[in-house]
Amino acid sequence: MTVVNIKINGKKYSDDIEDRTLLVHFIRDHARLRGTHIGCDTGHCGACTVLLNDRPVKSCQILAVQVDGESIETVESLEGSDGKLSIEQEAFREHFAMQCGYCTSGFLMMTHHLIREYPELSREEIREKLHGNYCMCTGYQQIVDAVQDAQKRHNDKKS
Amino acid sequence: MYPKPLTYRRARTLDEAFSFLSENEDARVIAGGQSIMPMLKLRIASPSLLVDIAPIRELHEIRMEGNEIIIGAMVTHREIIESREIKSNIPMLQETARHIADVQIRNRGTLGGSICEADPSADYTPTLLVLDARVTLKSAKGERTVSLDDFLVGPFEVDIKQGEILTSVIIPVNRSAYSVVKYARRAADFAVASMAALVEKKTDGTVSDIRVAVGAQSDRPLRLRDLESELTGIKPQKRDLHLAVEKAVEGLEPIDDIHGSADYRKEVTSNILKANLGSLIFGGDSK
Repeated sequence: MTVVNIKINGKKYSDDIEDRTLLVHFIRDHARLRGTHIGCDTGHCGACTVLLNDRPVKSCQILAVQVDGESIETVESLEGSDGKLSIEQEAFREHFAMQCGYCTSGFLMMTHHLIREYPELSREEIREKLHGNYCMCTGYQQIVDAVQDAQKRHNDKKS
Repeated sequence: MYPKPLTYRRARTLDEAFSFLSENEDARVIAGGQSIMPMLKLRIASPSLLVDIAPIRELHEIRMEGNEIIIGAMVTHREIIESREIKSNIPMLQETARHIADVQIRNRGTLGGSICEADPSADYTPTLLVLDARVTLKSAKGERTVSLDDFLVGPFEVDIKQGEILTSVIIPVNRSAYSVVKYARRAADFAVASMAALVEKKTDGTVSDIRVAVGAQSDRPLRLRDLESELTGIKPQKRDLHLAVEKAVEGLEPIDDIHGSADYRKEVTSNILKANLGSLIFGGDSK
């Protein structure tokens, strides 16, 4: 057992955990934040994507003890304190970029990262950047539409 | 899926890592974890002690030493893609890293971890073989440097002893014309066939240096040395190239699995070698 301190969405979570605890289990079961999903559990599907020090990673492929003292952002960080949807969430809602919604939190975190990292991405580039996220309902057209729209909203807001 | 119960220790220096490793015969090193985590979860590997080498600063360095670049074992795929030194001195390695897995894995996965996993269809190894890379292994008893060709033993097997840590990869600067091809069913998958090649030509078209390696065609990635020597020192015609490729491919023994039958893998290898070596040797689009 090891005591870890992990900052999630700006709040510190501390717990005495088994060393083999996966980060995704720490987020869901210890911090009780259930927006991050476990999809394939083999590192392929990206449903468990969170940002670790601002970079997307798959939280089912990391032990919580490995990120002791680090900062994580999960999908719960997107919504404003007033309950307003973020631009990524708005774009996904408007384009109906989800069917069952299981993969959505992973795609939202990728979108959150991509629109800040790159000022512009072509549809082809967006698809390339989203290789690590699967939508088993195969709603990819709408997801690409939503990422492009989110990027536009982000750029408009900045200028 | 949980790994089997294990103890995790974080090493801040190499000496600390060696001392943790010596405590337990069953210990394994974890770098970025993108190879070992899936194995732990599938319980293909179940070490009782995991030694994390991520905090060791020297393992994160990329530095020039004479005509060689030394890349620390903990350098991530993303850092290789972003490194200016690597871009200008070994562009081929950067191109290779761009096609590894996906954005999330490239943020965590490391050069040293990928090499030590020794998947026969891994992305880096064909490239590193043609670059004549060497690896440095350190232990409490000292250090040794071996060529990557000798380090790779078989599928998921490398020449590393208990207590040793792969600390860096040494790569001679190389700006020759190159080709790196990964053929996979889906972009983020492991290769069904892959190749890496470098070609140097004299002004009259004579091939002065050609190095070719293939991945996913045997129990480990292979340099095609017979093909190389057949095409060196001559001005090869298309026919020479095709014959040399067919002979080399004939000798390969890829696995037969759900990702591709052995015959299919050989066919793809033959086609990508002919097309891409053709472009390097004859120039232009001779596909």
